[in-house]
Amino acid sequence: MKVYDGSQSESTTQNAPERIKVGIAEYKVTTDAALLTTSGLGSCIGVAIYDELNGAAGLVHVMLPSAADIDGGNRAKFADTGVEVLVEALEAAGSTTDAMRAKIAGGSDMLDFSENGSSIGSRNAKQVRRTLEEYDIPIVGEDLGGDHGRSIKLEAATGELIVKSANTESITL
Amino acid sequence: MNVDIQSLGTFNQLAHEGAEEATRSMAQMTGIDAVVDVTKITLLNRDDVGEELTGREFVGVQFAFDGVLEGDTVLVFDADSAATIADALVPGDSPDEAMARSGVKEIGNIMMSGFIDGWADYVEATIDHSPPEYIEKSGADVLPDAPTDADHQQVFVFKSQIEWIDESVNFYIYMLPEYEPLAELMMEQADTEDDAIPIDKLQTFNEMTTKGTQKAADNVEMMTGIPTDAEVTQISFAPITDVPKQVGTETYVGTVVEFTGTPSGYLMVLFDEVSAVTVAEAMMPIEMEGDELTDQHTAAIEELGNIMTSGFVDGWANVLQTSVEHTPPRVVHDMGRAIVDPLAAQVGQHQEHAFIIESEMKTEDIEFESEILALPNEKELREALEALDVERANETQADVEQIFE
Repeated sequence: MKVYDGSQSESTTQNAPERIKVGIAEYKVTTDAALLTTSGLGSCIGVAIYDELNGAAGLVHVMLPSAADIDGGNRAKFADTGVEVLVEALEAAGSTTDAMRAKIAGGSDMLDFSENGSSIGSRNAKQVRRTLEEYDIPIVGEDLGGDHGRSIKLEAATGELIVKSANTESITL
Repeated sequence: MNVDIQSLGTFNQLAHEGAEEATRSMAQMTGIDAVVDVTKITLLNRDDVGEELTGREFVGVQFAFDGVLEGDTVLVFDADSAATIADALVPGDSPDEAMARSGVKEIGNIMMSGFIDGWADYVEATIDHSPPEYIEKSGADVLPDAPTDADHQQVFVFKSQIEWIDESVNFYIYMLPEYEPLAELMMEQADTEDDAIPIDKLQTFNEMTTKGTQKAADNVEMMTGIPTDAEVTQISFAPITDVPKQVGTETYVGTVVEFTGTPSGYLMVLFDEVSAVTVAEAMMPIEMEGDELTDQHTAAIEELGNIMTSGFVDGWANVLQTSVEHTPPRVVHDMGRAIVDPLAAQVGQHQEHAFIIESEMKTEDIEFESEILALPNEKELREALEALDVERANETQADVEQIFE
């Protein structure tokens, strides 16, 4: 809880970056050093892209591999169109793909009941990689797979991606 | 009486947009940065409405509405946060009670006008609403009485949860429409007969699930000696992307199975960590040191999850007269939403929206709560309901006692 008591609240506002929550199948972009967060990544993947030059950063929380499998709907829900929509939004904020760097987390294989074929988590990861590659955006950090969930925080100011799990220490990518 | 998936989806979207409109109005007025976390339509027993609010004090505003839709709607939030709200309106001063109350009323008024107007615009008809009434009550009493209807024991409730970012303040919007006008409106909006859902059978299905939950609760009691009651059983409808938000972000322990047949899907039995330890120790012959969750606890939870799942799934199969099989349980110990996420994704490969069947059990004596959450394939659930003929359903209701004995 913030403390609303004159002098203190002012300094709190100045020091703490704005925190922006990104829900499932949503994306958000910041140009003023906000903290972008998303929680409860199981087989979903959080794709964080930041621009080293102009400081813009964005995060998308994708759920399924490809929009081609399903008619219509929300682009941010899928790995392929989700990366696209995030790149477009960053470009609209003045970034170029040359300066963009990506960090990705999630894509767990937990609770994968499929007896044959690969899990949604690994298919999501494969699709995210492929789409980023099409844009020539390098992946400079990743924490993928395994059998546990994750929550992530992207510090737009530094490009650091902090990954938290229920049963282990946080790591910073 | 049939509605279709599409109109359920549309109505859910409408409630969601209404809540978003309400939240935007508030943000403009107060600078409060808030987001609508989740919106769902739930069908549940009249007496169970607002059960999730038990033990908390609320303030808010209530309206009656009238027109193509009739009923009541409320916007409520935790009483403790009234001062925070008033402070957002008039920063600086320490707000007194009267100011807090008028702040609540003002915010409520603005938000709810936005909410109702959104609905009226969509259905292209007038919905009038009464002036806001300030309310201050505890638990489910803060909600208006669910509309009474001799023909329907269960009611539809539209529920949105709004989260105020950076503050631990949650708003809730509940809308309780009269059953008949709502059902008629949903039928009017329906485009196709292809994916019709017989609402009356959904009610029957809910009743059956309640019996299954009771059986699962009996199993818990048998294994642990802890008197356990089935609390609430409800069926909700929400976009697939909102499904993981049905559980909290905290850590849960439990089991997950995939079930196959008509319908197929996933079933989770989840305990919060404290409950998991309590319930597991009740099953163990020896006292454990410390209150950490150990492998022994997890093994006990696995066993318990298995018998709860069996009771529940067998209940369905009997009622639906189909065969429903399930995989051995997989133990999970992880963030709640991350547990549900891969299951929602599996189901989401074939559908945009999902039915979520939720049951809860609780005890008075000790800290122990458990949730059963089922995520059936929507098309198959629809087929199963179609096959459930209402007359037989009535017979089954009598039979059900024997089935679960």
